[in-house]
Amino acid sequence: MNSAQAKPKVVFEAVSKDFERRGEALRVLDPIELVVREGEFVCLLGPSGCGKSTLLNIAGGFEAPSAGRVLIDGEAVSGPSPQRVFVFQEYGIFPWASVWDNVSLGLRHLPKDQIYATTQQTIDLVGLTGFEKSYPMELSGGMKQRVGVARALAVSPDVIFMDEPFGALDSLTRLTMRAELIRIWQTRKPTILFVTHDVDESIQLADRVVVFSPRPGRIAGVVEVALPHPRDLGSNEYGQIKNELYELLGVKHAI
Amino acid sequence: MIGALLVAAACAALLALGARLPTAVRRWTSPLCVAGLACASWHLACVLTNTPVFPTPTRSFAAIIELGRTPRLWQDVTASLFRVTWGFGLAAAIGIPVGLWIGWSTRAFEALNPIVQFLRPISPIAWIPISILWFGLGDVSAGFLILIASIFPILVGTTAAVQNIPQVYVRSAANFGLEGFDLFRRIVLPAAMPQIITSLRIALGVAWLVIVAAEMVGMRSGLGYLVSDARNMGNRYDLVVAAMIMIGLIGIVLDVLIRRLQEFDEVRWGFAKR
Ligand SMILES: Nc1ncnc2c1ncn2[C@@H]1O[C@H](COP(=O)(O)OP(=O)(O)OP(=O)(O)O)[C@@H](O)[C@H]1O
Ligand SMILES: [Mg+2]
Repeated sequence: MNSAQAKPKVVFEAVSKDFERRGEALRVLDPIELVVREGEFVCLLGPSGCGKSTLLNIAGGFEAPSAGRVLIDGEAVSGPSPQRVFVFQEYGIFPWASVWDNVSLGLRHLPKDQIYATTQQTIDLVGLTGFEKSYPMELSGGMKQRVGVARALAVSPDVIFMDEPFGALDSLTRLTMRAELIRIWQTRKPTILFVTHDVDESIQLADRVVVFSPRPGRIAGVVEVALPHPRDLGSNEYGQIKNELYELLGVKHAI
Repeated sequence: MIGALLVAAACAALLALGARLPTAVRRWTSPLCVAGLACASWHLACVLTNTPVFPTPTRSFAAIIELGRTPRLWQDVTASLFRVTWGFGLAAAIGIPVGLWIGWSTRAFEALNPIVQFLRPISPIAWIPISILWFGLGDVSAGFLILIASIFPILVGTTAAVQNIPQVYVRSAANFGLEGFDLFRRIVLPAAMPQIITSLRIALGVAWLVIVAAEMVGMRSGLGYLVSDARNMGNRYDLVVAAMIMIGLIGIVLDVLIRRLQEFDEVRWGFAKR
């Protein structure tokens, strides 16, 4: 992956977060230091409630850190931007708009023919050709999630934040979606930060897996996944990485 | 008496059979059977109590036909509908934009919500004297009362609709750089639309309730006036009930019409059964 040579894209500098809860400060994130390189696919893996979504929301510009800062291309993040797109876990796409209108949302400022070409191209890319005029309620869960991915891809972002985007899908659809995501990532090479609490998902997708401890979240360890795609789930290396991750998460793998 | 019992028996039998009928047929027969049963009981009650004034269903329907032969009924219906149309239209034209604003802006909510909540529980009927004082007896006065009656459901419904927009939609919009008018047109309005339509539906029902009351007290035409006038001209209770039946039927038609709004592609998601 040669990720060590690529330049830093998303840099977390001592990012911490406290939430106010009934007058008391609740520490959700201990200072996080992390460098994500350009074109890298990084998974944030951790138990429920450890602050993964919070960290991603801070990076996306939706929430402010209590201390520290996030730099993207060397500039501190101060708010959301179409250059860095968020794919939400569920219902992030607009139910009142057709697939076409959802996907073309971020292209409003382009000339008409370019909007048309890009939208069609992106819809084709995620395999939704023929459903342009459909409304989200007429689509399956996996198709809706593809609309969310397509809407993000249409604006050709440098960074994509994904917060458990496949969490609500059945395991079979999830596998297909992962394969498609890898295919798209390989063609466009955006930087991807992907939150999950599924160990297998993180090994199948990531260049590097960042493991979080339970709340207050801190980085328990970073595991490199130097396996070429498509990855063989039965290989020895895969098993080793899996053991390593389980160990970092503090759970017994074999029950 | 025998006829009423026969009708009741037939309706009850058809209702009991309902489960075996196709849904499309049952959707019509079941409510009609319930109406048949109600009319039969009404008739029996009249016969058994031997009431001198209260009209039987037959008399009441005859009164509708009698009214229908004269221009009177249609004049009253159009008068009421006209007042409701422009009062309700004005309420929607004011209530929806103001509701969107109060729902979106925290400061507007803080400043205006108390006065809205203060005015809301004041019955529109209480405004009748003031309305007559300001606008005299006539369509303006009636329209004003309808405006008062229907603006609060719309205002409160629209405000709540905007406040309930899931954060994820607002964040998505911000992520793709939507702001100002674009944000309202593409996100806030459509996200709130299903609940706005529901509040319009409620408001129209209230408007139709209030127009009758307003016309009974302070108008010289309309279905409400028909009710009070029929009573005054020699206790014509058959005409009173006839007018009430017309009010109910028109109420159903209005609701069916406004429910059409729920079928547009852009809002169907808000009404789908999941
Ligand atoms: N707005 C908020 N106000 C107060 N506390 C919050 C807020 N948002 C999150 N928290 C708390 O912060 C902690 C971390 O939340 P977060 O959503 O980041 O977890 P997560 O790692 O994404 O979990 P999951 O895997 O279940 O989605 C939780 O304990 C939650 O209670
Ligand atoms: Mg989360």
